[in-house]
Amino acid sequence: MSHPKMSNSAEAVAVSSGPSRGGRSAAWTVTIVLGILILIPSMLGFVMKFRELMAITEGGTEGGFAITPVINYLLASSGFFLLLVWAALNGMFRDLERPKYLMLENEQELDRND
Amino acid sequence: MSAASISTGAHAEAHTHHDLVDEKIVRWYFITALIFLGTSMVAGILMAMQLIRHNPLNGIEIFSAGRWRMIHTNAVAYGFLANGFLGCLHWSIPRLTLQPVFNKHLSWLIYGAWQFVVGATAVGILFGEAQALEWGETPVWIDPVAQLGLLLVAINFMTPIARMKGPMYVTLWYFMAAFVWTFLTYAMGNFMPQYYVGGTSAGAVGGLFIHDLVGLFVTPLGWGLMYYFVPIILKKPIWSHGLSLVGFWGLAFFYPLQGIHHFLYTPIPMFLQYGAVVSTIAVELVVTTVVINFFGTLWGNAGVVKTNIPIRFFYTGMIYYFLTCLQCSFQVTLTFQKIIHFSDWVVGHAHMVMFGVFSMWIMGMMIHLFPRMLNRPWASQNLLEWHYWLSTIGVGFMAGDLILLGVFQGWSWAALEPWDASVDFSYPFWVLRVIAGLAMFGGLLAFAQNIRLTMQAAAKEKAVRA
Ligand code: HEM
Repeated sequence: MSHPKMSNSAEAVAVSSGPSRGGRSAAWTVTIVLGILILIPSMLGFVMKFRELMAITEGGTEGGFAITPVINYLLASSGFFLLLVWAALNGMFRDLERPKYLMLENEQELDRND
Repeated sequence: MSAASISTGAHAEAHTHHDLVDEKIVRWYFITALIFLGTSMVAGILMAMQLIRHNPLNGIEIFSAGRWRMIHTNAVAYGFLANGFLGCLHWSIPRLTLQPVFNKHLSWLIYGAWQFVVGATAVGILFGEAQALEWGETPVWIDPVAQLGLLLVAINFMTPIARMKGPMYVTLWYFMAAFVWTFLTYAMGNFMPQYYVGGTSAGAVGGLFIHDLVGLFVTPLGWGLMYYFVPIILKKPIWSHGLSLVGFWGLAFFYPLQGIHHFLYTPIPMFLQYGAVVSTIAVELVVTTVVINFFGTLWGNAGVVKTNIPIRFFYTGMIYYFLTCLQCSFQVTLTFQKIIHFSDWVVGHAHMVMFGVFSMWIMGMMIHLFPRMLNRPWASQNLLEWHYWLSTIGVGFMAGDLILLGVFQGWSWAALEPWDASVDFSYPFWVLRVIAGLAMFGGLLAFAQNIRLTMQAAAKEKAVRA
């Protein structure tokens, strides 16, 4: 994370758009805390349910029924998982805050060119 | 432009807005969207009149209330929301990627094809051709055309995203996902239950379809557009881009599983119902990240809400969004479901999210973009205020009224009182719904009149200059 104060005023766009390495900001802490809060219960839930699904599909007619929406989900999610890996490998998350400054700079530039 | 941004390869110096954006199509999408919103509202009012036994069209078969209800929901989802979003996408994607859409002629073809799909759906429904799938009532023979249309939309907008250089802004992540999800969701919801699965399985797929339409078509487009328009109007970046990406990936992985929460207490195995409850709780946390991020961005500039009408629409939508999501966290529990299932609570919830949130956002974007496209300010600030207050108060009243009624209905049914009794005590609440609906419709009329006056003034100015 590279924007130490995460100041988000219009003037700050021009000044702080270059990457800099510094202390952690409040936004970054909130990001990490929420990331963990979301990921841990969700992954736990997911693993638990996946094990149950495996058990169900091995016996009875319920298994065939349960598998339809779950297969749908797995198909869609595996695509997104691959996208996540691709994005990470291509450096999309190297500087997480950079795109927000770039977007505003481009907007201002387009308005000036008009 | 800073050296750092040039090094990413994505810079706007060589581009002008007019090379990138086809403003004419944006305008056409907006006006068409508003016509469909008007149609949907008239249909909603007729349906609401039916429920208070004052349907002016009583006895005319093709205008029977059940058909109006389907026209109401289809016109709003596919006619208003989809057209409104498409207009905003034609503005935002080329500006964000600095690339025009794949093909401008294709854009117009899609525009025409989409209006054909929505129009044919309305005619099909009126003449009894509706497909027996909630939110998929589009007659069976139109489904492949709609599916093809969605594919073309994806090609037209994904091309500039793919051609773009440098790391992507969160809005583009959302858009990209929405194009893939909408295509897959539509295919799943319209073809699977029609041709491949039946019985309870079809019910489960139907639940997934309804919810995924909201969560994987409307939500990513709505959030993506807010992440674009809020910073550019406030002229400050979003509070935390990292947090916005947590929201995006959270939605991607946890949303698709929760559709079955519409079918708690049904014959669907409890295993799947609990799975839906768990993933709904995960999504509540995801939603919290979005709300925190937008309020973090507004921090220090709250006064803008008073003076800037689009921002006011956006943040009113955020508050309604927070309220609907809070409601969801109660709704998803089995204890709560026992009371509110099948009651008017759900209808209140639906209006709060579809109108209070997404329609308010779309109207805010229209209010921001119309003056830019017409090159002149709004003809009447007063009409803008009327539009805002009638819409906000109208939907607040409608949602509050129906949510409260839902609790009364649920308790009455749980106490095993005769069903007729619940219809009788619902009557005054349903009358209030008509009044609230008329207020919302009044807001739309004020907006339409303002657009008309502003366009007339723009045309006059152009004539004088010529
Ligand atoms: C003039 C204003 C409106 C009125 C009077 C109105 C009235 C109604 C009525 C009577 C129903 C059927 C309820 C039932 O079956 O018991 C309904 C359903 C629905 N309306 Fe509206 N409506 C209005 C505007 C809107 C708008 C603008 C939207 C979306 C942006 C919307 C979204 C919905 C949805 C999603 C449902 C389905 C709810 C469900 O199935 O649970 N309505 N509306």
